[in-house]
Amino acid sequence: MNHRLHATRVIARRRIQELLLSPGFYVAAALGLLLGYLLVSGFARSVDSSGFDFRLHPVFDLVGRSLQGAFGGTVVQKLFAEGPFQLVLYVAFLPVLLFLAASSVYRFGLERKVGAVELLSYGPADGTSYFLAFLIKDLLATLLYLAALTGFLAVTAALHNLVLGPTFYYCLALLPFASAAIYAWGIFSSTLTDNSASALAVFLALMVFFLLVFLGSFTIASGYVAGLSTVLAWIVRWFSPLYYWDQALRAAEVSGWPLYALNLALQLALGAAVLAASHFILRARGVRP
Amino acid sequence: MSARRSILAAVLLVGALAWAQAPVRREQLIYSILAFNGKDYAATFARAGADSLYLVSEVDNFLTVRNAFVYYWPITQDWKTDTSVLNVPFTGTLQLTGPGLKEPRLITPVRYTYYNTRGEYELNWKVATGQAADQAWQEYQQLMEDYYARVQEYQQARGAYDAMLNELTIRITRMRDQGQDVTRLVEVLQNLSSPKEPEFPRDYIVPPRPVEEAFVLNLPVGEYAIRFFAEDGSVMEGSERRVVSFRKRRAEGIGLEVIPGDKWTRPVESTTPSSVLYVDGSADLYLRPFFQQEYNDLYYEKMQRNDASGNPSVMKWVRIQQVPQAAIRLAGPGGQEQVIREEPFFVEQVKGASLGYRIVPYDPQGAHKDRDPSLQAFHLPIARGQPVLRLATLDKNGAVLPGGGRQVRVVGPARAGFVGLVLALLPLAVMVGVMIARSRRVSG
Repeated sequence: MNHRLHATRVIARRRIQELLLSPGFYVAAALGLLLGYLLVSGFARSVDSSGFDFRLHPVFDLVGRSLQGAFGGTVVQKLFAEGPFQLVLYVAFLPVLLFLAASSVYRFGLERKVGAVELLSYGPADGTSYFLAFLIKDLLATLLYLAALTGFLAVTAALHNLVLGPTFYYCLALLPFASAAIYAWGIFSSTLTDNSASALAVFLALMVFFLLVFLGSFTIASGYVAGLSTVLAWIVRWFSPLYYWDQALRAAEVSGWPLYALNLALQLALGAAVLAASHFILRARGVRP
Repeated sequence: MSARRSILAAVLLVGALAWAQAPVRREQLIYSILAFNGKDYAATFARAGADSLYLVSEVDNFLTVRNAFVYYWPITQDWKTDTSVLNVPFTGTLQLTGPGLKEPRLITPVRYTYYNTRGEYELNWKVATGQAADQAWQEYQQLMEDYYARVQEYQQARGAYDAMLNELTIRITRMRDQGQDVTRLVEVLQNLSSPKEPEFPRDYIVPPRPVEEAFVLNLPVGEYAIRFFAEDGSVMEGSERRVVSFRKRRAEGIGLEVIPGDKWTRPVESTTPSSVLYVDGSADLYLRPFFQQEYNDLYYEKMQRNDASGNPSVMKWVRIQQVPQAAIRLAGPGGQEQVIREEPFFVEQVKGASLGYRIVPYDPQGAHKDRDPSLQAFHLPIARGQPVLRLATLDKNGAVLPGGGRQVRVVGPARAGFVGLVLALLPLAVMVGVMIARSRRVSG
């Protein structure tokens, strides 16, 4: 066990160095911050004497109308009740999340395919320590980016006399946990498939599936459709990080802190279960496809 | 050429008439629903295709089963009934099954009425059934009859007064013209007082409606099944429905109706307790706090209109009634506090080309004599450059109402907006720095 931990630490350190020396992470971070900047300034321009009105800015008009059509006016009203930062947080985080998850999935699949993982497994490391190193690298990069993003948004909020709002902090605390589960699903996809392209495809398909099921149970409905999507969501939700994310936010809305904490723990448990499954798959299938 | 045009016009007219044909009316068994929505009774109906009825739990809701014409009205995109031609209520019993009921419960129709009496709060709804319903209706009828009798007396007295006034005026004018002394008659004229118009009864906000028969459903939270038995004991075909009885999730929220000074006809509502009021500082705000309750969006919408849509995963705040005798405590950026009270205001049209409105304090003795105030609200002065105002809603005893706090922030384009852009591009600068350092190290 100590050997595995040591190997994980060493590989993770190497991966973090690689991440910081290559341009991808910086480009994704800059893209996220730029999107955040545009949304915050757009929000400030969409305020008139009666408050925020998304129809006053073309970007928000598009976002607001789309959300209103799909999820109803109550969702839009709640989303912007405290300001723009709940939406901004998700939009600005998405490029980095996708970059980290997709690059790890692709890299792990590629290195399995070419035999790099097999080579290491003859030495001090094994497949599990290898993918754990990826997870640690991704989590540390996520925390680094979230810290930078929070600082950036705090400055832009101060510049526009906006406030981040309590819901922003609840969402912020949730993101590392949800990300951990998503990264775990990425690793699972890599262990399940034989090459990097199919690993990436399986991972993206899984995420899109989770997202569609989640949105399906969230969309505006008139009865029967809602019932149908709820049945599907009920089966899939236990595997979806989005479900626990949603449950935690619902708990936070009514100050149900034990339930909020429970859902954070369940996110971690989901990630751990998926990693355990990946460990057994890797052991069964071998480190080289 | 002219003939061709006439033919074309005729074809287009026929086409337009065909397009604008009346909607198809279908005879259906419907459930007519009077559902209490937390502040009022909402009337809706469940047509043949609607499998569920939505009702708020632990309150009286009224159901009738009837035959009516139903049609879809594309302009408002909803279903409507045409009861002018066919509106036949069925007599029978309603069978209810569901959680907590070991055996199906048979519900018989009862005579009912409901009304809202005037009190300190706006909501004093009462439901009367059986004899009590008849009594409530008779009391209301008696009240109105007394009122109309008083109105009749008043009109007679008013007529006599006007006739007397007219006669005296003519006599005085004639005597004056003849140079006679009119002092006594003028004195009589001055002592004449007009009869007082009787006041309309203010006992009810919503008077009792005529007594009718309906099934009264007052259910705990849960999902139930209902079906209708005709008088011969047979189940009426197509009468099976699901009844969703739901309750509010929270009630401890205070919403604010926000009326901007320059757009008083377009008020907005701040319902989420943690929400922030962002304004551009171009106009003062006029606030009205109200009690609100939180319900499931889909359930609430469908309870109000059975064919409506909603979001099953979202809770929405619903305005119930204004907070009576409230006050608002205001804290400025320096921490100084002041309590503002509700005041009457009058909306004046701005003269000139601007064609706008101006909200001014109501002056009952001066400019607004004999006119009613346009609105009663809490005036919140707003100025550009004012960073933040924190407000709390207080009840009539001065206690802070939970969920009634808000921040008001004046927002504008950032004076140093480029700072945000520079910060957003900072990761690229770091990347360039890292790459330069790395290439130097490698080449070194």
